[in-house]
Amino acid sequence: MIRFLSSIRLTIALLILIIILSVTGTLIPQGETPGFYQHYSPRWSGIILGLQFDHLYRSPLFLSLAFLFLLNILFCSSQKLPAKFKQIRGQIEFNPVEGRAGSDKKFITGFSNWLWLEPDSLVAGLKQKHYRVKIEEASGQKTLLAQKGQLGLFGPEIVHLALVIIIIGGLISALFSQRLTLALSEGQTADLPGKNFSVKLDRFATDYYPDGSVKSWQSLVSIIEQGQIKKQKTVEVNRPLKYDGLNFFQMSYGFDWDQAQVELEIKGTDLAASNLTLRVGEKVQMGPGLTLSLITFIPDFEIDEEGQPASRSAEANNPAALVQVTREGQPVYRGWLFYYQPDLNRVQSQPDFNLEISLKKFEAPVFSGLEAAGDPGMNFVWSGSILLFLGLLACFYTSYRQLAIRVQPAGKPVLVARCRHNQAAFYRELEELLGQRPADRINSARKK
Amino acid sequence: MNEFPLLLISFIIYLLVMLTGFASFFGSKTKWTRISYWLAMAGLIVQLASLLVRTIVSGHAPFTNMYESINFLSWSCALVVIIFQRTFKLEKAWPYLWLMIVALMALVSSPALPKNVTPLVPALQSYWLWLHVSVTLLGEAFLAVAFVASILYLTAGRDSAGKLESQKRQEKYDLIAYRAVAAGFPLFTLGALVFGMIWASRAWGRYWSWDPKEVWSLITWLFYALYLHTRLVMGWKGKRSALIAIIGFLAALFTFFGVNYLLSGLHSYA
Ligand code: HEM
Repeated sequence: MIRFLSSIRLTIALLILIIILSVTGTLIPQGETPGFYQHYSPRWSGIILGLQFDHLYRSPLFLSLAFLFLLNILFCSSQKLPAKFKQIRGQIEFNPVEGRAGSDKKFITGFSNWLWLEPDSLVAGLKQKHYRVKIEEASGQKTLLAQKGQLGLFGPEIVHLALVIIIIGGLISALFSQRLTLALSEGQTADLPGKNFSVKLDRFATDYYPDGSVKSWQSLVSIIEQGQIKKQKTVEVNRPLKYDGLNFFQMSYGFDWDQAQVELEIKGTDLAASNLTLRVGEKVQMGPGLTLSLITFIPDFEIDEEGQPASRSAEANNPAALVQVTREGQPVYRGWLFYYQPDLNRVQSQPDFNLEISLKKFEAPVFSGLEAAGDPGMNFVWSGSILLFLGLLACFYTSYRQLAIRVQPAGKPVLVARCRHNQAAFYRELEELLGQRPADRINSARKK
Repeated sequence: MNEFPLLLISFIIYLLVMLTGFASFFGSKTKWTRISYWLAMAGLIVQLASLLVRTIVSGHAPFTNMYESINFLSWSCALVVIIFQRTFKLEKAWPYLWLMIVALMALVSSPALPKNVTPLVPALQSYWLWLHVSVTLLGEAFLAVAFVASILYLTAGRDSAGKLESQKRQEKYDLIAYRAVAAGFPLFTLGALVFGMIWASRAWGRYWSWDPKEVWSLITWLFYALYLHTRLVMGWKGKRSALIAIIGFLAALFTFFGVNYLLSGLHSYA
């Protein structure tokens, strides 16, 4: 089992499976309703919904692959560590036939031609090349150990550990991150559930470019705790406000149409033309015994599938106001007024109702869409990311090199040399140091 | 002022770099290689000037739409190819790499890409735009070198040259590809994934949203992880490595072009 979990074949299989699933997730629209998938692909909808591929990246299949991958990284990285620590401490097998294909290139060779070279005479040259040198003598045998770039040997472990931290951070985010959308108009305050402070939007402004596109949204936000302003900051896209583990982001903006205010023009045979301004839900006196109330306002009027008036969007594409007129408490008229198509206002064609009402102006308070997000996984992800990059530098831009020589009273001296990358350059360095290019025995050992 | 004339000049110079590079196959090798190299340096400087002019005129980073980004990518490729030439001597790979850059330049200067300066939407107004895109594209330039070297590896086997020579050349291409991935992978990790996550967390409030562009960057990255592991641990080299490097770069290309035009998501600008 452990062998399976730490095998590189599993890694490769998992990488390929995760790639295939990830691609699938970009092809199937995510996060739609079951009805959508039946419509989208009647043939596949059963499979999509059965495997929960409507939210593929949170589906049991994807999460179990990710979990297996996590275990795989943990097992395979920890497996190599003891050997690497041994190696760095200089516990080296001086067995001349050992040679193993693998990540750390290693070769062993006899000292046939340069027996005259005492290990001590190498020390100066090695030090000049920034090796750390250690010489040990015990029971007649002398061992020289020289190495440099030790961090590089652990590069892969650092990278893998970093990945573990990032994946754990991702899991923590998935489980514990909270987010809350706040739509605040100027002057409004919102309480945050579970927190002892509230958020107030003091001011909201939109800046435009000359061509009319949005340049920035700015929300001046105050954090209020027990009636006191604890922090105040202008929140913009890319400039969140941080407070008590929460971040406040500028996400959107819009109009609060439920608070719309309209201006109506009223013409009548027995009335001078007059303009009235009123809010949704308000009732005003129009004339003796006559009242007018604004019942609702819809920014983008349409008749929905159920035959009811609804808003197609939050934009003011087809504004319409529903008004009601009463005379002596008796409703005499109720109908829609359209901003762009006054001809459709039915009031005009109403018999024995000699008033003409039209929608002249409308406005609604702007709200700022803020998002409060708290994500305890984030710090894991950031520390993991830093470690990941440092690990990659250690893998690719430091080179671990080790040279060990053992001189025994009987038999030939033995050299063991290892590096992680760029064997050719290491050979050249050895040639410079030893005056001879060591025969590469690893290949012959491998062939056996 | 307009950067486009400078860009066209660098395009022409790169074309000459490629032609003189190919000339070295037939004429005096050292002479043509030298000429080609110095032309490349000149082209690099002219194109850098075009990027600077664009930055000054637009007032923002020179990679906020397709035209600007491909311009920056081709400049990064030119830079990387020159660095590789200086450090390892690319030999026969040199003009083929310039063929790729010339193709990119043809795309940049084609009328199909709108070249007007547009103001930045709020989400793009961040210094993370600079860090995220420039490091990612620089990383991708290295991966592009690995891509071309891998294609050369696969085609060099059928060379008319002697068996030993073509084998040696193949080994060189394999090494170039590996070196390029070894440099491109950390840069891509840093630029695309790490800086991307940091920026997303500031702009959108979450560092990872499984947006198609994010997923495709991850896919690209996983391919190169596959490349490194099959090579280092399983000892794969040559043909199979080359195939993974090629597919990996196709994934990178899809992240760059395909996601914008074929899939929709948060990254719909740029
Ligand atoms: C996407 C995830 C992974 C990434 C990005 C990654 C990254 C790396 C890198 C950059 C190296 C060094 C490569 C080199 O020096 O050329 C490496 C080495 C290695 N990786 Fe991974 N790795 C990942 C997952 C795994 C997993 C799941 C395993 C489990 C079997 C694994 C096993 C190894 C081994 C055995 C080495 C060689 C170690 C050595 O040289 O001592 N990797 N990895």
